[in-house]
Amino acid sequence: MGRSNWLRGGALIAALAASSIAGPAIAAETLTMWVRASAANAAPHLVDLWNSGHADKIALTVIPDNQMVSKLATGVKAGEVPDVISFDLIYMPDFMRAGFLTDITDQMKADPNFAKVAPAFTNLATYKDRIYGTGFTPDVSILIYNKDLFRKAGLDPDKPPKTLDQIHEDAKKIRALGSDIYGFYFSGACPGCNIFTTSPMMVAAGAKILPRNGDEEPLDGPGVKQVLQLFRDMWTEGLIPKSAQADNGANFTANFKSGKVGIQGAGGFLISDLKKDAPNLDFGVAFLPGAKEGQASAFVGGDVVAIPKGSKHADIALQFIKWELTDEAQLEGLAKNNILPSRVDLADNKYFQSEPRFVTTAKAVGIGYVPWVFHFNDMVNSDSSPWIQMIEAAVFDGKVDESIAAAKAKMKDIASD
Amino acid sequence: MSALVDLGPNASAAATPRRRPHPAARVSPLLGALCVGVIAIMLFPLLMCFSASIKTAQEASAVPPHYWPAALSVENYLKVFRYQAGLPVYLANSFAVAALTIALCVGLGTPAAYGLARFPVPAKELVFLVLLSGLMIPYQALLTPLYIMAASLGLANTYLGLAIVHTVVQLPFSIYLLRNSFEETPRELEEAGIVDGCNSVQLLRWIFLPAAAPALITVTLFAFITSWNEFLAALIFMNKETAFTVPIMLVGVRQGHFGAVDWGALQAGVIVSILPCLAIYLLLQRYYVSGFLSGAIK
Amino acid sequence: MNPSRSGYVGLLYAAPALLFVAVFVLYPLAQLFVTSLTNSSLLGGGEFIGWRNYLRAYRDATFWQALVFTCKYTLIITPILMILGYGLALLTLSANRLGKLTRAVVFLPVVIGLGSSSFLWFWLFDEQVGLVNKLLQDVHLIAHPIVWFVDANLGLAAVIASIVWKVVGFGMILFIAALQAIDAEVNEAALIDGASYWRRILHIALPLTSRAILLTTLVSAIGSMLAFDQFYVMTAGGPESQTFTSLYWIYQNSFIYFKLGYGATLSVILMAIILSGSTLQLLLMRRGRGT
Repeated sequence: MGRSNWLRGGALIAALAASSIAGPAIAAETLTMWVRASAANAAPHLVDLWNSGHADKIALTVIPDNQMVSKLATGVKAGEVPDVISFDLIYMPDFMRAGFLTDITDQMKADPNFAKVAPAFTNLATYKDRIYGTGFTPDVSILIYNKDLFRKAGLDPDKPPKTLDQIHEDAKKIRALGSDIYGFYFSGACPGCNIFTTSPMMVAAGAKILPRNGDEEPLDGPGVKQVLQLFRDMWTEGLIPKSAQADNGANFTANFKSGKVGIQGAGGFLISDLKKDAPNLDFGVAFLPGAKEGQASAFVGGDVVAIPKGSKHADIALQFIKWELTDEAQLEGLAKNNILPSRVDLADNKYFQSEPRFVTTAKAVGIGYVPWVFHFNDMVNSDSSPWIQMIEAAVFDGKVDESIAAAKAKMKDIASD
Repeated sequence: MSALVDLGPNASAAATPRRRPHPAARVSPLLGALCVGVIAIMLFPLLMCFSASIKTAQEASAVPPHYWPAALSVENYLKVFRYQAGLPVYLANSFAVAALTIALCVGLGTPAAYGLARFPVPAKELVFLVLLSGLMIPYQALLTPLYIMAASLGLANTYLGLAIVHTVVQLPFSIYLLRNSFEETPRELEEAGIVDGCNSVQLLRWIFLPAAAPALITVTLFAFITSWNEFLAALIFMNKETAFTVPIMLVGVRQGHFGAVDWGALQAGVIVSILPCLAIYLLLQRYYVSGFLSGAIK
Repeated sequence: MNPSRSGYVGLLYAAPALLFVAVFVLYPLAQLFVTSLTNSSLLGGGEFIGWRNYLRAYRDATFWQALVFTCKYTLIITPILMILGYGLALLTLSANRLGKLTRAVVFLPVVIGLGSSSFLWFWLFDEQVGLVNKLLQDVHLIAHPIVWFVDANLGLAAVIASIVWKVVGFGMILFIAALQAIDAEVNEAALIDGASYWRRILHIALPLTSRAILLTTLVSAIGSMLAFDQFYVMTAGGPESQTFTSLYWIYQNSFIYFKLGYGATLSVILMAIILSGSTLQLLLMRRGRGT
């Protein structure tokens, strides 16, 4: 008996010794992470970089954009949530209020990199003074213009329009170039495209778009009417293609890519897309302008990262979040691949030096806004939202004042729910 | 595809091969031209889809468009093939779920249809209505409670869980088809079997199933099609990329920012997802025709 | 029917399916009904509010507009599908090779998914990258490209075209089966009497396949009342919410506005409407056949 005890003990010691030589014998975990389809190109850069340097791996699952909310919500109800999740930042308030996300305030506050993240993200990820996430794969809206068409129209290709009126003037000159060349484009039936690219012009000209609750006034300020009137005028003058009226986003960038449009609002994502799909197109980027020179704004969008409540590996998920804010992740994962970093201190980095258009885009994050509201879907993104109905009625039917008033009433109604 | 199901009241005619002129059988050049016209109209969209799928991605989104590609390219198909977990993974998942759906529809539908067709079941019409109720219910409305139920049973993210939802959608039609087929089976066959001393199970196995072969094939085909193409339940029930089915991949591969659509990838995806359905259809068609002809001949 | 066969044995055969339906259809349906009495949100929470949702539905202008639109869609597309389906069945009834090929080609779109098909037609009708406009211009039917989805009626026409293309083969197959089940002797007798082709269709084919016609019409109509995917993909409910169908509006409320309780209410109402419509049609069918 005693002998077998010794043997057993000896075997145990040998095993322990072997494992300590071989390294920690803790099993490596695999975390599940859900990301949106439109971030499916950006997110893998970060995730692959993490996977190449860590024992614990992250497996990405791509969810179609407009199903992300319902997927997470039903997942929470059924107790089936991923370990980490990245989604459209605009849903943070709803998710935070619903209690879907894990409070990471203490760990984030102690992290030096977290303090350098763009205020837009930090504000959006805060609810009742607690922090629930941070920026992951940001994007921001900018004005994009076709330099070739500018040259042909006799405009200076290095002087993008800096006011709403200049957009109008430049568009007119470009339209005169030919029957299939248009001065301006926007997706007339796409609520998301317009909150991303049109609302910043309103904000720049002085307006507040969405209300936080039933007491705040929606669509407040002269900017709303000025921009809608600009679009209406450009539409009646034929500076915008007829197909824009029915475009629900499917052709958001197709026209500009074909070289037939002079100016339009777009996002940082389009810069890499254009370089890949239309390498011969000479284009420039600028801030989305307001009514006067010096007024500019942007919509800070893209995806945030958070940990759902019920995540089975919340500790590792937290490590991942802290890691993705480090220099290495932000520069090698994001900037190197032409994706904007969440940290403002890295806006002007070595990778962007070779492409000044990215520097402009990154700077736009600093001057940009993002609304902190509940019911964003209701008010903006849905196919029947007051936001898109206002744009459609104002621009295509000419009912500028009526449509603004109607949208205000509806949004107030929704916000007081 | 000679006939799907015998809906007419004259059951006996269905069993005999047709040799006499049919009220509507005609051969004439006008009808021939009409057929060709119909074929052209029906094929046009698919031809254009295929044509766009072999264009370069840029050409597929060209404004204005052209019918045929200027340059051939497989980049759209490569994009579909390489998307996320890779096409083979999605195909395998879709096949697995479809196979389970077929098994459930046939396994549940056949006995139910047999019972309703050949037995004096009390409140038969009510039972039939209950079984067919799924036709009138928008299954999307049931997805949330079904998913919560599935999760509590440990069926979330499983083939079986999703197959159950697909069966909910497809079972009513399956039972309907099979019941009609069993009802139309000639009494003489059944009586012959009884005379031989068969009990109800043996009757089902040796007399009714062979007679209903066309209907069974049809049920299989439609169960496959429904399951193969279903998107919403697949997305809700599956939680890992490696468990996703083909329809989810199709939505992802074509999606860009703000709803921008990659038309080339879309077309390639459509073609890729049609091919298995087509293959099954062509495969079953052959069995189907011979099944009908040899069906219930004494 | 063998008199010594017990009805309860039949019930036993039906038991597995009944159990399945009870657990996976009726129980969630009951839950849906309970949810309709609450203000449950997709994001969680919700309390019992009794019939308030139903009152709200009564006053919901968009819901009724969507219902009217859905009925309009059903009333337009069902006859088209039935007539074309029957016509194609007659056309391809003969066993010759061209007929068989036509049958196979017409049935082909049935095997495509509804989402894929809708996206395919969305692409075809797109004013910018679509080929329908190009085709219409090439055959000189129109002079300038039409923006299909800006107008509710044009958008509806585009959706109807896409669904007819996709689904007509299904009706065709069902009608072919019904036609082939007609006893050849009846046709023989009519031929001997010298009846013309169309008289034979009118007086023999149609009456003898009436049950199939009515049932197929019913199934098709129910499917149209539950239309969603095609409008979601092609028109996005636009322009200005004019092409929302009932199910689309339910989807909006449940998953976009997060109002699961209200969405459940609208689902219950929609199902009740479909159920009454179907029952009515079935009763009329019974009465018409004198049974």
